[in-house]
This record gives sequence, structure tokens and C-alpha cells, in this order.
Amino acid sequence: MNRFSRYLVGFATLAALTSTTGLVVDAIAQSTLAESGLVGELEGATIIRDPARIPTSFSEAPMLAERVAAGDLPAVESRLPSEPLVIQVLDEIGKYGGTWRRGFIGPSDGENGNRINASDKLLFWDFSGTEIVPSVAKDWSISDDGRVITLSLRKGMRWSDGAPFTADDFVFWFEDLYSNTDIVPTPIADMSPNGKPGRVVKVDETTVRFEFDDPYFLFIDMLAGDTLIGGGQSVRQARGQTFGAYAPAHYLKQFLPENSSLEEVNAMAEAEGFDDWVQMLHFKKDWQLNPEVPRLGPWVTTTPINTPTWVMERNPYYWAVDTEGNQLPYIDRIVMTLAEDTEVLNLRAIAGEYDMQERHIDLGKLPVILENQEKSDYTVRLDLAFNGSDTVLQINQTYDEDPEIAKWLKNADFRRSLSMGIDRDQLNETFWLGVGIPGSAVPADSSPYNPGPEWRDKWSTFEPDQANALLDSIGLDKKDSEGFRLRTDNGERLRIEVQAVKAFLPWPQQAEMIAEQWKDIGIQADVREFERGQAMGRTRENKHQIMVWTNGGTELLYLFPRHAIPVDPTEAFMGPRWASWFASNGEQGVKPDDPNMLKIFDLFRSAGGQREQERFKTAQEIWKIVIDQQYGIGTVGQSPALMGVRIVSNKLGNIPSRVCIAQHCRTPGGSHPETWFFKE
Amino acid sequence: MLAYIFRRLIFAAATTVAISVIAFVIIQLPPGDFVDAYIASISATGGQVSLAEAEGLRIQFGLDRPMYLQYFAWITGVVQGDFGFSVEWRRPVSEVIGDRLWMTVIISVFAILLSWGLALPIGIYSAVRQYSIGDYVFTFVGFFGLAVPNFLLALIILYFSFVLFGANVGGLFSAEYQLEPWSWGKVWDLAKHLPLPGLILAIGGTAQLIRIMRANLLDELRKPYVVTARAKGMRESRVILKYPVRAALNPFASTIGYLFPFVVSGSIIISLVLSLPTVGPLLLRSLVAQDMQLAGTIVLMLGVLTVIGTFISDLVLMWVDPRLRAGLDG
Repeated sequence: MNRFSRYLVGFATLAALTSTTGLVVDAIAQSTLAESGLVGELEGATIIRDPARIPTSFSEAPMLAERVAAGDLPAVESRLPSEPLVIQVLDEIGKYGGTWRRGFIGPSDGENGNRINASDKLLFWDFSGTEIVPSVAKDWSISDDGRVITLSLRKGMRWSDGAPFTADDFVFWFEDLYSNTDIVPTPIADMSPNGKPGRVVKVDETTVRFEFDDPYFLFIDMLAGDTLIGGGQSVRQARGQTFGAYAPAHYLKQFLPENSSLEEVNAMAEAEGFDDWVQMLHFKKDWQLNPEVPRLGPWVTTTPINTPTWVMERNPYYWAVDTEGNQLPYIDRIVMTLAEDTEVLNLRAIAGEYDMQERHIDLGKLPVILENQEKSDYTVRLDLAFNGSDTVLQINQTYDEDPEIAKWLKNADFRRSLSMGIDRDQLNETFWLGVGIPGSAVPADSSPYNPGPEWRDKWSTFEPDQANALLDSIGLDKKDSEGFRLRTDNGERLRIEVQAVKAFLPWPQQAEMIAEQWKDIGIQADVREFERGQAMGRTRENKHQIMVWTNGGTELLYLFPRHAIPVDPTEAFMGPRWASWFASNGEQGVKPDDPNMLKIFDLFRSAGGQREQERFKTAQEIWKIVIDQQYGIGTVGQSPALMGVRIVSNKLGNIPSRVCIAQHCRTPGGSHPETWFFKE
Repeated sequence: MLAYIFRRLIFAAATTVAISVIAFVIIQLPPGDFVDAYIASISATGGQVSLAEAEGLRIQFGLDRPMYLQYFAWITGVVQGDFGFSVEWRRPVSEVIGDRLWMTVIISVFAILLSWGLALPIGIYSAVRQYSIGDYVFTFVGFFGLAVPNFLLALIILYFSFVLFGANVGGLFSAEYQLEPWSWGKVWDLAKHLPLPGLILAIGGTAQLIRIMRANLLDELRKPYVVTARAKGMRESRVILKYPVRAALNPFASTIGYLFPFVVSGSIIISLVLSLPTVGPLLLRSLVAQDMQLAGTIVLMLGVLTVIGTFISDLVLMWVDPRLRAGLDG
């Protein structure tokens, strides 16, 4: 390419940078996706569970060896537990050292660091996101009746400050933090199956029991998932949250009134500039803000998140080793620099200023990203998601402002017609560069939750004739001069409002395209773009008709159901009133008058006490109803659109060619960043 | 004269109070609050927040109290010099702004000096040598500068500085100095990063000032006193600089009112595009996140500075323009 044409490409890409639609499609179509080499095989570091393979001698990073030599730190053998987590690294035993440069977009981007430190969860998923493996807990068991879950901890395991990590840290979390209503005002559903609160009991130093009144086989999944109880210290004790099942008792005790007096802790709080002790506690236990809080994750904060650089350094007491006994992590330090805007972050990534970045990278910029691979010395990987649809039209079943509209939104045939009026291939080509999979909202065919391949297409292919006939048959057969269908109450045009937010996908533009496609089935849709907080407020007040959102996370239906079925009032796009009814056990909200939804609620409620295989069956039944009823209209999914465009420096080793991108895989945490290393 | 100043001061104080109320109310007008915005941003980036948690956060941040109580809690603190707590940054507001204030002032002052330094001589030249080739060239450049949106210029420059020179993208420091404490090396690094954002910030304003200076000066140059001065054989440079330029300077003085808030906020869009650590992006971010005390403080600060700036510009106008002084006395 000569210089001039390079400038032209520059201008074209500039246009792509400034427009969200990114129409510079260098067609990487689905058919060629496999040949493109951008999508690899799922692979990653694995957890060794055979005690015979625990190494007998250990070594450590030079920066820690120096501190040991200087007498600042005990020897590595005494810092590690007697049964450390042994990780089989992907390709080769790594070298110590180096700084991982990465971007973040501000103090609200805490997940950026939480996810890298996700191994501080009690249990975790393997690299493929399908099997539960140990992490902080060495092992687990569940009683035959499903009411008692026992976790075994690692003997001799320590917090990042060297203090022992024991069952007392669980009891402290449960009794002193979680049960104190000043700190946690309302108990969480995770700890109270069927509304009956559970208990945390210490058996001995390294054994903890969770006890429940009802069978709770799902609890193992909860501990491994990104849930309030199982999310781990990084995410669940930051930003004012106090969940996550364990906490550093020896450090946090000093900030609680129980151990001195209310006056004393309040005076301490005031001296440090906080309003009261509760506010101080929320700060002290937050690893993103307070470098002093003891941690279990591979890296600890040295410069907090609310500054222009969020810096983390290795945890000298990290309790995992590779198969040769080298204490992990390999990389010394992570430096995240603040980008005021995701556009700048993307440009910096393209300029090779980050060593590994998948977060905030925009799929629409893929052509420019690929073009600069050699110049900036990185490799691009596309990781495909497992959730059914990146863009779902979630239809509000409890909308009541306009009875005529409400009537149609609650009509299954109306919803099916809307779904068949969508040309998903056009959406895929335009917004996903052709790499997504069109279809309904069900999770990937490979998932045990998937009811069968035929449900991908059920009501979810482009059939405008069928849609038109169906709409005619349900009483929407009168049209105006422009061909739009008319309301049955006053003869005016039927106008459906679609609420869209510009979040991580250009949803307003996508909704516009769908509205354009619906003209062919005589449906007028008005797309209204809202600022996201405003959209959430409207949803809470039951004002929206159709909301455009993703169903990421629903691949594990029980751990994150809210975008598949209306059971969680937090984001109940499919019916806030029904969701409050479900969540409050019938005390608030409105009982569904739709027998299909009542069936879904029954199935969902019964799942917690079922064993795994039975639970999968229940989930499949739920998905069948959800798809048949089209409460949420799926469009295009299983794509790399969210955290699936990975830019990796060629200097890094042990990088999987494809990683699991999903809520429960804690991308990139599930591929164990502590095993990555700099080759030179 | 003193009575006039005193009256202006009273008005300024009243305006400031009104600004503080309006700022707080307007920011609260859209439905939802910080917690809503927070939930939305968390779920959009792959996290999750439960309803129980959200309620806990509302209580923790005092968002469950009525708006007027939230306002009084904040403004009582402001009067005592405590600007409150930013729930998004989870730091005191004064620290959050303080971090960025100096950097903003440096960039903005640099941009203002650059734009005056360019606009004044060019404006004078264009007026004195009207319709010369130089005038046409500057007119063209001036209109170009007016017509091209600054953020677009910023984007283009950003992209080409990366493609052609492999330059560091955005920001005010190179990666290696980002974490370092202040040193001469870091100051030099800043000096190297400053001209580009300064120039982009200055360009729009420069073009405008050139046009204003040129038009005003042309008006003055045709007046009889200039002809008389020339006829009496006064040196040309003195003829132009003594009175006509001084009279033409009025618009500069009257824009001081707007310069003050600009100095502390910088340009929001350009700062965003170039990822400059200034107060501008902070304001935008706090408004989107409905981080009330931070947004309220910045808006209040901008309002107060506009008021002070206007007051000062009135005084400066009286000083540069004897005609105003005369009007006041008479």
C-alpha cells in the first residue's frame, strides 16, 4: 500500500472511530471466521487435583527473594499453604517479572481489576466454563439431603499480610458483617433459599459448613458463580458491598464497634474524615480503594482506583504454584492507565500501549485493529460468547399505561410476528461484521441448559409473509394508506415504543434498523434513546414497552436469570410488577395472569433443591416456554461483541487461543492471568 | 464609582446563591439517581447488583432523603469549605477536583495566551493591510478554524500523530512518567505534550478573535481622528497602536467573564477526545453518573467564576475605555 492510500484508509477508519455503526466492514463473514485464524479452540490453564502432584520444593519471584534475603519476608515455603493450588500452565513454565500495561475508564471500572483477581472465589469454573474446580477452597461436599454444604480450606494458607486464613474468617463475615443490619440492611436471597435464612458454622480451623433448612444443591454453583455469596472478596467487598462469604477478620475487627465501643469507632472514623464507622468500614474493606486491606487474590492494590493509574503488585502470600513449584503470579505488576473515553482506550490499544486488553475493545473497530497487528506487535483473538443474544428485545408484560398497546404486548402471536419480522442476517452483517449467530435467545447449543438445536430458529427466522398472516389473523388486519396496521380501539396507527440505551453495543442504531424492517409487516416502531440511568428509572416505574438489552449471563440460567425471565426486580425488563411479585413471594407486585409465566416461576423455584442433571432439565423446560412465548426476542449472539475482541502483545506467553467469555468465567480471570508471563 | 462596584457585588452574591440552588435542582431533574446510573454501568460492563444491594447503597449515600435535605446538607458544608463527597470517585470532592484543577489551569492559560498571541498581531495586520495577500491567507485560515469543529480536528490530529509519528495517544504524560513524582524530566515531558492540546483548544477562539479584531480595527481606522493624526505626521505605528487598537480591544476585555470558567474547566469535548486529565471530563462524567455533590460543586464553581469574571471584565472595560468611565460619571 502506498502512502497516499494509507491516508485514505486512515480517513476511513477515522470515520469508523467516530461513528458507532462502524460500517467499514472488511467482511469477516461467519463462514470464513474459522479460516481467519482469529477464533481458536477453548483452552487454558488447568487445576491439578491429585495431591501426589503437589510439588515438594518451591521457588519465588526475584523481587520477593530480595525481600526474603533482607529479612522483610518469611521464606516461600512458610508463606505457602501445605496444599497449595497447583496449576498446570497452558504452554510452558513462565519467567518472573514484567509489568502488564492495561487501560481502565475510571473509578466505576472496578470490574476490570476484580476479574483479573477472580481466583479469590471459593470455587471457580474451569477454562471452558463447564466444570466446577477448587480455588480458595480445597474441596467441597454436599450432604445427601442437600441441606449441608461443607468446604475444606488449605492448611497454612495466609492473607496477603501474612496472617492465617481460617474458618474464623467465614464466621466473622457471617456473624459480624453480614448479620449486622447497619452494614448489610437486607439479607440476600443467595443465603436464604425459599426465604429461609441459612447459617455459617466453623467445624475446625480448615472446615466450614453452610447449613440450610431446605435442600440447596444449587449452592455449589452459587459458590462458583459470580453471585453475591460466591463472587469472591475482590468484587463482593468493594463499592459498599459486604458479601462473598469470608473477610479478613484480623484486620477489619478494629473498625467494628463490637470490639471497642460505638464512640471509639466513630471518633476514629471522624479523625480519618468519614461520616461514621459504617462509611469507614466500607472504605477499609474495599481493595480498590484501600491498599492496606489483606487480600487473597494474586495481585494487591498499591495505587488505588480513584487516581489516574490503578496499580497492583504481586501478593507475596499467593497460595497457588505451577507444577514445578514456582509461586504464582509470574507477572510482577499491573499498571492500568485511565482513559477518559473508550475511543481513546481503543486507539491506545491499537497503538500497542497495552499488553493485554479485551475490556472496552469495540468489535466495530476490528478492521483497524487487525491492520495494526504487525506495527504494534500484538495478536488479535476473537472469543465467542455462549449466551444466545447480544441484543434482545425484552417485552414488558406488565405495561399498563396504554391498554391497547398492553393488550398486544401480552399477545404471544403478536410477539412471534415481531420476531419473524426481523432480518437477523442484515443486523449480523451490519453490526457484528457477520461473526455472530442469528436466532433466538437460547444459550449456545453446546450448553447443558440448551433444550435442543431446533430452538435456535423457533419463531426466530425472517418470515415476513408468515408474520403478516399471523398479524392479520389476530385482528390487526386494518391498515392505513401507508400500510401501517391500526389500533383496534380508536382506528389510529398502532405505534410501539422501543426503549434503547447506547451502552456497550449501538443499541439505538440496531433498534432503528429493526424498526425499518418492521415496516414490511406493517408495524410502526418508535425508537427512543435514553441515557442509561434514565432508562433504568423508567423500567422501575413500569413505563417502557420494549427494552433493548443483552442476555449475557443467562447461559447459566440460575445464577443470572434476570435477562431471561422476570424474577429479579433490579432489571425486570420483561415485567417489573411480576418480578416484584416473584421476588417478594407474593407480598408486592402483581401475580401474573399468564399461565405460562406461572409455570416458569414454579419451575425456577423448584430448581434450587434439585441435583445438577435434574436442574438442567428444568432449565431446558423454562427456555422452551420462554422461546415459544417470545417474551424476549433474540437477534444475534454467541459473538465476540462483549469482551471478546482480545488484543494480546506478542511478548506474552501462556495465552489461550480462545477463552470463555461469560459472567461466570470472569473473563479474563477464568484463564488464570497469574500463569501468563513475559517471554523476554 | 464605589456605589456602582458595591451594587455589582450584591448582585453577584445573589446570583451565586441562585446558581447553587438551580445547579442542584437541574442535575436532579432526570429520573433516577446515582444508584440507578451505577447499576446500569455495572451491568453494562458485566457485573451485577441486586435490589437489596441497591437499597443499601441508597441509604449509605443518603439518597433516600428528600432533595432539599440533600441540598442543605451539601451547601452547609460548602459554606464551611467542605464540598462534600464524590460517590463515584469515593473521595472528597475537593481532592477529586484539586487533582485536576492545576493541570486544567495550565492547559487553558497556555491556550488563551497562544490564542491572544496569535490573534492580536494577525488581526492588526489583517486590518492595516486589508485585501493584501496576507490578509486573504489569514482570512482563509481564520474561516477554516471557525468552520471545523474542534473535536474533529482533535480526532484527526490524534489519529495522524499515531499513524505518522507513532506518538503517544492522548493524555499529558508519557507512560514512563505517569507514575513518577514531579521532576525536571516530568516537567519536560509535560512541556512536550502541552502544545498539541493547547493549539487545538486555541484554534477556534483564535479564528474568532482575528475576525473581531480586524473588523473593529477597520471601523476605528476610518475615523477622522486617525486621519487627523496621520495628517499631523505622526509615525504610522503610533497612529495605529495609540488609540485605534486600544478601542478595538474592547471585545477582548468583555470576554474575560467567559475566560474564567474556561480556565478551570477546559473544553469538555476536546479534553474527552484527547483524554486530558482536566475538569471538563470530570463534569461530564459526574453528570452522567448523577454524582450530585461533585457535579454540583463544579457547576457552582463555574457559575461563581462566570460571575467574578463578568465583574472583573466590567472593571477592565472601564479601565481600557475612557468613554465608559465618562458615561458613568455623567
